[in-house]
Amino acid sequence: MPIVQTENLTKVYNPETVPVHALRNVSITIDTGEFTSIVGPSGSGKTTLLNMIGGLDKPTSGTVLVDGVNVTRLKDRQLINFRLKNIGFVFQHFNLIPVFTARENVSFIMLLQKKDKKEMRQRTDELLEAVGLGSLKDARPREMSGGQQQRVAVARALASRPRFILADEPTASLDTRAAMNLLDIMLRMNHEEQVTFIFSTHDQRVIDRARRVITMVDGIVEADEHRK
Amino acid sequence: MHLLLTIAWRNIWRHPARSGVLIAAVAVGLWAAVMVIGWANGLMQQRMDYVIERELTHLQIHHPDFPDDGHPWDHIPDHNQITSWLDDHPQVRSHASRTITDGMLQSPVKTSGVRIRGIDVAAETRTTTFHENMVQGEFLDADLSNPAIISRILADEHNMRIGNRIVLTFENVDRELTSSAFHIAGLFTSASSEYDKRNIFVRSKDLTEILAGRPIFHEIGVMLVHEIETEAFVAMLNKHFEDILAQTWRELSPELSMIVELGDVMILLISLIIMAALGFGILNTMLMALFERMRELGMLLSIGMSKVRIFCMIMLEALILTFSGALIGMALAWLSLHHLGQTGINLEMFAQGAALIGFDYLIYPFLSIGDFLLMSLVVVSVTLAASLYPALKAVRIHPLEAARDA
Repeated sequence: MPIVQTENLTKVYNPETVPVHALRNVSITIDTGEFTSIVGPSGSGKTTLLNMIGGLDKPTSGTVLVDGVNVTRLKDRQLINFRLKNIGFVFQHFNLIPVFTARENVSFIMLLQKKDKKEMRQRTDELLEAVGLGSLKDARPREMSGGQQQRVAVARALASRPRFILADEPTASLDTRAAMNLLDIMLRMNHEEQVTFIFSTHDQRVIDRARRVITMVDGIVEADEHRK
Repeated sequence: MHLLLTIAWRNIWRHPARSGVLIAAVAVGLWAAVMVIGWANGLMQQRMDYVIERELTHLQIHHPDFPDDGHPWDHIPDHNQITSWLDDHPQVRSHASRTITDGMLQSPVKTSGVRIRGIDVAAETRTTTFHENMVQGEFLDADLSNPAIISRILADEHNMRIGNRIVLTFENVDRELTSSAFHIAGLFTSASSEYDKRNIFVRSKDLTEILAGRPIFHEIGVMLVHEIETEAFVAMLNKHFEDILAQTWRELSPELSMIVELGDVMILLISLIIMAALGFGILNTMLMALFERMRELGMLLSIGMSKVRIFCMIMLEALILTFSGALIGMALAWLSLHHLGQTGINLEMFAQGAALIGFDYLIYPFLSIGDFLLMSLVVVSVTLAASLYPALKAVRIHPLEAARDA
């Protein structure tokens, strides 16, 4: 069952001065539960594609359907609400709230969703245990390594029980061991929580473990490989 | 709300030094504004009280021609009828009648033009505090014939001492020049050196005898129970009595009225400058804090925090900082005003210059509770207004900021 569908998605930056075609008629479908990596060299359009799917940027033309909803037509306020309910984000630079502890960072999104306190506490503890940070619940980001911070970011993205998680170069700031560890966690969560993962990367270690690899070059989908 | 308060509170303490500086800026800004206004209030009030209570009184009654011409024959008609009416009126606290003429003070050293003021010691002491200006000798109740009190400045200029004889020459009501000898019974010093050089005090009964051979009065100084009733009371007097001119202290001393009005304008200007400096300081600090957190704010928007919440979060940060600073500033200002209101601000080093323009060098600052609260409200409003731009800028941040490289 498709969770994300893009149809003829095109994005042109500076259309009136020096046009830069970031995406050219990209049409892809991603089903629920997939573990998909979007790969390609710098400037190939993978981050732009993720931003379009996440409703963080508007396409020049084409549509993005998330669970049947055309996100390109949603207004700002609707988009914020849509993201809160449906999408989890993992950023390359972790982007945790520095003044919050790991526990607070994870539960923050559930506070925005106005979840029940007991449920919130239970879910936070479960997720932090699941990403191997049970002993660092009260640590602040500056007291954690990059790998640990990114694991908190994954736990945060999962906290709201989103339909899918978008991760832009999640391992780019991590060493090999931390990257592999994070990937293990993401795969486990994909399996256990049945959450769809869509991530961009140019890290071969990550590409090797993805179940589907969409390769982009110059804003065009050059290859779409499903693996077993 | 709890979530926003928590995040705002934690954000404030992300940079304790910067937040401390902002809190200190608000506190010092409020303290400075309150102190400047308190000082200016004290200065104006002191000058007003001084002039009104020491000599001018709330209102004065003259013959209609006397204020312009100052002729001794322009004395108040029906004086006794007016004073009886004043005695019976509950709005009147006290009054003093004065006999006044312009003349020459002659001493072996020099001759000076002076205004000779004949006063009734008992009535004057009840009505004004002029007797507090006495620095040496007695206040006209000396056992001398024709006692006079002159200022210390005038005494020094004429090389005179207590007990010395001076000769006063002036026109009487028959328009004839007459001279009479007086003896210096005491010396006074007021806050105005110009006033000191131009005024001499004698007993009313001595002066009126020489001027007219009978009691005549040129001025009745009236102190009311409440200063605020002055204008209405003057209107009533002018309506009730013919051939007199009653005037408020504002009409009698337009320069004093102007000083009070100028003081209000100065207070406003100084406050505006302080508030502008405070506002720009806060704007700068909040913008710095915002630019540092662009990626974080982008992340908050990405994950689903609404713009309204982000706006409220920034405003809450400003509000907490401002209230902390305002509370400290108010406490400091209150303590300073309380202390200096008792001890006074001593500007003795400027005493000579201050005396030239009629000000005392010891200023007792004060601020009404209403003004105090208004000032605090203004500081908080300025801070919030200055925070509005950063808060609005924060909600315009694009979620893609979250993905940007540091």
